[in-house]
Amino acid sequence: MYRKTVPYRIFNVFNVILLSLLALACVIPLIHVLAVSFSAKSAADGNLVGLWPVDFTTIAYSKTIDNPVFLSSLWVAVKRTVLGTVAILAVACLAAYPLSKENAQFGGRSVYAWLFVFTMIFNGGLVPFYIVIQRLHLVDSFWVLVLPGVVNVWLIILLMNFFRGIPKELEEAALIDGCGHLGILWRIYLPVSLPALATLGLFAMVWHWNSWFDGLLYLSDKHMYPLATYLQTVIVSRDMSSMSFTKQEFDLLSQKTINAAQIFIGALPILIVYPFLQRFFVKGLVMGSVKE
Amino acid sequence: MRYIRRTWPFHLMLLPALVFLIVFNYVPMGGIVMAFQDYKPWLHIGGSPWIGLDNFRLLFERHDSIQVIWNTFLIAVLKIAFNLITPFAFAILLNEVRQRLLSRSIQTLVYLPHFLSWVILGGILLEFLSADGGFVNRMLHAAFGIKPIPFLGDGDWFRFTVIASEVWKEFGYGTIVFLAALAGINPSLYEAAEMDGASRWKQTLHITIPSLLPIAVVVGTLSLGNILNAGFDQIFNLYNALVMDKGDIIDTFVYRTAISDGQFGFATAVGLFKSVISMILIVISYRLAYKWANYRVF
Amino acid sequence: MTTFSKPKLAAGAALMLAVASLSACAGNGGKPAASPSASASESAPASAGASPSASGASSAYKDKYDPPVTITTVWGVDPALKFKNGESIENNVATKWALDTLGIKIDSLWSVTDTNGAFATKMRLAMSSGQKLPDVVTVGDAQLAQDLIDTGAFREVGSLFDEYANDKWKTAMNLDPNVWNPYVRDGQKLGIPVLDYAYNHDYLLWIRQDWLDKLNLEAPKTLDDLEKVMDAFKNKNPDGLAPDKVLPLSIGFKTTMNTWMGDPSWVFGAYGTIPGQWNAAADGNLEYGSINPASKSALAKLKEWRDKGYIPSEAALWDENKTSEPAVAGTAGIIPGPYWMSGWPLLDTVKNVPTAVWKPYPIPTGPDGKAGRHGTNFTSGVTLINKDMKNPEAVFTYQNYLFEHLADPQPGSEWDVGVFKGYDYDLDASGNPVYLDKIPGGEVNINRYWLVKDGARIPDAQMKALLKLADGSEPTTRLEKEVKNNYGPETPAAAKVLLSQPDISFKDMFTGPSTPTMQSKLDYLKKIELQTFNEIIYGKKPADSFDKFVNDWKSTGGDKMTQEVNDWYKNTK
Repeated sequence: MYRKTVPYRIFNVFNVILLSLLALACVIPLIHVLAVSFSAKSAADGNLVGLWPVDFTTIAYSKTIDNPVFLSSLWVAVKRTVLGTVAILAVACLAAYPLSKENAQFGGRSVYAWLFVFTMIFNGGLVPFYIVIQRLHLVDSFWVLVLPGVVNVWLIILLMNFFRGIPKELEEAALIDGCGHLGILWRIYLPVSLPALATLGLFAMVWHWNSWFDGLLYLSDKHMYPLATYLQTVIVSRDMSSMSFTKQEFDLLSQKTINAAQIFIGALPILIVYPFLQRFFVKGLVMGSVKE
Repeated sequence: MRYIRRTWPFHLMLLPALVFLIVFNYVPMGGIVMAFQDYKPWLHIGGSPWIGLDNFRLLFERHDSIQVIWNTFLIAVLKIAFNLITPFAFAILLNEVRQRLLSRSIQTLVYLPHFLSWVILGGILLEFLSADGGFVNRMLHAAFGIKPIPFLGDGDWFRFTVIASEVWKEFGYGTIVFLAALAGINPSLYEAAEMDGASRWKQTLHITIPSLLPIAVVVGTLSLGNILNAGFDQIFNLYNALVMDKGDIIDTFVYRTAISDGQFGFATAVGLFKSVISMILIVISYRLAYKWANYRVF
Repeated sequence: MTTFSKPKLAAGAALMLAVASLSACAGNGGKPAASPSASASESAPASAGASPSASGASSAYKDKYDPPVTITTVWGVDPALKFKNGESIENNVATKWALDTLGIKIDSLWSVTDTNGAFATKMRLAMSSGQKLPDVVTVGDAQLAQDLIDTGAFREVGSLFDEYANDKWKTAMNLDPNVWNPYVRDGQKLGIPVLDYAYNHDYLLWIRQDWLDKLNLEAPKTLDDLEKVMDAFKNKNPDGLAPDKVLPLSIGFKTTMNTWMGDPSWVFGAYGTIPGQWNAAADGNLEYGSINPASKSALAKLKEWRDKGYIPSEAALWDENKTSEPAVAGTAGIIPGPYWMSGWPLLDTVKNVPTAVWKPYPIPTGPDGKAGRHGTNFTSGVTLINKDMKNPEAVFTYQNYLFEHLADPQPGSEWDVGVFKGYDYDLDASGNPVYLDKIPGGEVNINRYWLVKDGARIPDAQMKALLKLADGSEPTTRLEKEVKNNYGPETPAAAKVLLSQPDISFKDMFTGPSTPTMQSKLDYLKKIELQTFNEIIYGKKPADSFDKFVNDWKSTGGDKMTQEVNDWYKNTK
């Protein structure tokens, strides 16, 4: 009804224009980067590329992709992202459920909550962490990419807050039906939390997909690198004070186009996944499933 | 005994997370003692000499310490605020767009900048914001006759630029949380308001915003953990001598003096200082949220 | 690593990691550089006689070991390094060669792709977790080298070097005996410097010859000439560019006034100093160039140039790569930079402006006829040898061979056409050598496979080769051919220009470990220096604020630091 009113219509027009302009402001720099990635390096180095490639070429992409390590790193990245995301979500669901209970129902919850939050703020830094990783024999193992990141406190707390919004009546009804807590989590909480889970899943995926430092430090075989780590090794920071050249190294000094291509090679899989996840944000989905 | 009988499933569900937390977080936390050591890798944590608070002195006894800490705090606070407000408002506005294709497209496009790196963006901003014929200054001049603004060459403008570009880069990504929360609002609330003849503005004010607030408070409180993280990558790529006095932050200074030389002790001390400040602020805001809104953030 | 998924929310650890991981890009400015041989005596000659534990090992030296001996090492692998035939840094054609030819087995303890400072980080972490230190390690990072020496696990090497190194290597090392300075402790040499080609870091002026020709101008010899040229480039541009579209001189100083491309330090040199480094003063002591009164005149000149639009109005925001952009685009007339710049990036200018021609020219002189530029280190790192190593002389077996056969082989020697067939060269059907892309499966840079980075280099060899080419000779040795193939067309001419001013290089004379005052004060002092300099150039402060800066600099630690630096300097003599 309100949609038919004149003020709302005027608002709507302005709103669409404003948001579209914002979207444009976000996408124009990306178009520029895309254009650079498809330009000849002479044009890119001269900063002559605008929103359209100059002397179109795909060499920046083929340089990155034409490497036996590329395919293996892509596979490792997919493996770590899928396993890592599933692990993060599973542990987060299990932990968020009891934490979402009231103090009256679960007396120890606040102790746990602080125990979790504390680790977000304090940490021992790289040295002791490395020693732990080494003692667990995780150096040069694929699992070093997955296991240390399994507990994601930020996501657990977010999910806990989503769980709190679920009406208590549902849970009570289920308890009377003889459901255990695991059953309630599985049959009631999770189905109504799909938007939240999609959000969490996306964050976890993006994080796993983009992490590169762990791969670089804990793995020595390039074939075990995830994609993000491999991409880091394509872009080389040259120490100019001890310069000596082969012809190939001269080429490596021009990195603008490779840098640009790397953004798209690295982000494309995640960009493809996102619109797919958007269907979980549809309104009414939550309550629809509750009414069943 | 009754407590255990009633709550054992809860403890059990928390067990996996707890195990990982202990192994990968609490055990390494022992390394915090390095903050009080002149840490030498070959002497290990056990054998490195204890130097009391010397590492902290190094942080506080510079002539510019107060200025650097203040810069960090100011930039970080403003970033936290705008990184919260912008996605919040944007999600609500996007929610009003009925054309599903349009709304989804906008949603996708605004989240793209998150994937750009500051190394690349630094170059783009330098060009785009140049006081010497950059796009933004030409537009401002054409539209309002404004003299060229040194966005990156003047301390105050530099702070503005740093905050604005960060918000530009991240607001789309931050919107996702609020979109998920919007999807969780019970449609019958709106239906009831509609029956009462409430305008869309009233509905937003009384249904949408209150429903989003808890998540906003959570996100806001947790981002206090960043109260002294003003964004190393970004500032490192953008700052220069002209804006050093107002743009130098703790992390860039630690990087220049310690990290590149592998001084783990000093780096740990700075990290500990930042953690303590963050923790204090988080405790305060947790208490406030509980006292005023009777809401436990976590 | 950390348990946060939203990057902007990640607290301490993630940042520390990100920060730590970036450490590579910082060390660009020419930090430690060797001192010129003029002021040098053989550093600590006593160390030769004071050879400790290794004495009596002279008979141990063998040209080939049977049974083979093992050398353990660790690798920071160049990210750009390629492997073929399923090889790796641990096991490749060079390790096989060492075993077959010299009876030396190279055993790798660990390796890491060295990007973003990963090698230094991993080395420190390996020590922290109590892992075994290798027999031999080559380190480029100056601070890491000092840290490793501090462990006390590595032995005195001066006596080994005197005893086992062959003549070629010794001759190369003697070109500048100061290369040992950073690694001398209490008169003992604790690491073997890795030699690199000389003059790589020195610079000259690249000028658009086509513009000069069209304007009928001579190349500038003095700053006054230079101003006339810049003015003509700007206001009477031969390519018809509007004055505000031309950048007569492309320089930048985002992080330092003393860098490798687009460098402004020669303007200081024209008045008699080089900023941001330790220069030898008239009284024989070292002085910090930025506080020399000459800097004041240079700053005034730079301000004048900025006001006139000769240098970028946003030069304070420009880093090295940014200064090359207008040069490549064809809108800049002059850019200072190394002799190899015609290979990159200036080679690309003609693709954007077909008439563009870049030519190298000497650094112009100032009002008193002075000229100056910063000089180049002869070394790119250091090789350390473990105290517990059983056959330390095996390192010399390996390196001697490379200095003999690889460094600068004469025509007809074993590796004359190339080192490993199918890797850095191949032979076509008629037996002629082929290189680069013509090698089946592509070329790999085998020089990064050696135990010591880049194998063996004689500092002046490359310049000699370039000079020969500049004089019009055909390349005959492998090095000459390599240089001709790899470098840009103007490189030999540029080398000649560079060597036409051999005495104007100011080397950074301080190459020792950070002094206590440096650790606590240097960053702050650099900060006020760069701030003051920029504010003067931008006209935000009068030139006289330089004097206040000098006073501040001295009183907030600069004087103490100068004292420490000079104490170190006296100890190296």
